[in-house]
Amino acid sequence: MLTGLALFLSVLFSSILAGYLGSLTGLGGGTILVPILTLYDGIPIIYATGASLISTISTSSGAASAYIKDRITNVKLGMSLEIATTAGSIVGSLTVAYIYEHHLAYIIYIIFGIVLIGSIYPTITKGKRELPEPKPQDWTTRFFQLYGDYYDSALGKQVNYWGIRWWLGEIIMFFAGFISGLLGIGSGALKVLGMDYAMNLPMKVTTTTSNFMIGVTAATGSSIYWALGYIQPLIAAPTAIGVLLGALIGTKTLVKLKNRRIRTIFTILLGFLGIQMILRGLGIV
Amino acid sequence: MDINDVIGLSLRIGVIVSVILIATGSLLTFVEHGSNGYSVSELLSRTSVVNSSTASFNFIVNSVSQFTGLGLIYLGLVVLIATPVIRVMLSVLYFALDKNLLYTIVTAIVLFNLLIAIFVIPIFVVHN
Repeated sequence: MLTGLALFLSVLFSSILAGYLGSLTGLGGGTILVPILTLYDGIPIIYATGASLISTISTSSGAASAYIKDRITNVKLGMSLEIATTAGSIVGSLTVAYIYEHHLAYIIYIIFGIVLIGSIYPTITKGKRELPEPKPQDWTTRFFQLYGDYYDSALGKQVNYWGIRWWLGEIIMFFAGFISGLLGIGSGALKVLGMDYAMNLPMKVTTTTSNFMIGVTAATGSSIYWALGYIQPLIAAPTAIGVLLGALIGTKTLVKLKNRRIRTIFTILLGFLGIQMILRGLGIV
Repeated sequence: MDINDVIGLSLRIGVIVSVILIATGSLLTFVEHGSNGYSVSELLSRTSVVNSSTASFNFIVNSVSQFTGLGLIYLGLVVLIATPVIRVMLSVLYFALDKNLLYTIVTAIVLFNLLIAIFVIPIFVVHN
């Protein structure tokens, strides 16, 4: 049993690793951080999810400050969807409080396992197409002013786009917020899925706007986690620093590494951790 | 400097200040072999009873004024949570100045949700 400085360093190292891989794949740190902390560092799941949720604020805010400068983030889109993510996060945090109070933590392990395995799909398909096929504008496009444009340096042209089916995006975002509050993760993959498939937006807009939204969603859940006592200061401390550090290293090396190999390794890791979390939930390991 | 730059800058400052506070607090805890009357092994074990449920407003203010490691870590975490809240507040201001009524309401609803989670729900979830 590690205690003291050894435990601190072990959590710090796990967090750097999670932040690094999360940044390289665009999935965020939390999804693999919680399983690593619970399965390998032996941190109780309550403290692992608490530390993870609060750490997503630092990576999200850190990255968002850079993205806003690029003018790719669609602030209106993000803000209008945050109504649903914050509401979802409140419901999710209160649900998880009920689950722990009734000693049903195994449910969280199983749902976490399912989310990990479910994250494999967007990880594999991500980056296949940069721009969606334009679809006709609907009334939500006009009412919520879901227009935007940005300069795409990779494509070398100005991209004009618009979002559709705002209401469907809103429903998916409520669910993303719920999962964020329930599992202590940013649930960026779900947010990207919602904007990509439901609202037909370009990949660059969905990823940066999703990142922009994670901080506000996580701040909502973290406040409730705080009152519930899910945040252990000396576990949250190395996590917040580690994930941010890992993400910074990730952004710096992003261009140098072969993306496909990282993606393959990450996919295997997601499946492996997912199966382990489900087995832990079922009481097998 | 437009409001987007102000928002970007406030996010960066929030994260930097919070990381400095958390790192200093952690270092202080190890150098002083504990904090607020707890030993390092009491603070850092898997079954630690020290958690945010005991970190009330008064506890944090007292700990910070005595410059304890635990106090600085808690303050850093509070700054981290406050950073997105400030961002949303600035956004309400931005849309209000832009005379965009719909988005002033939209951002105000987001701010309302956040403030409910921070100030109202904790009253109901903490029963003892």
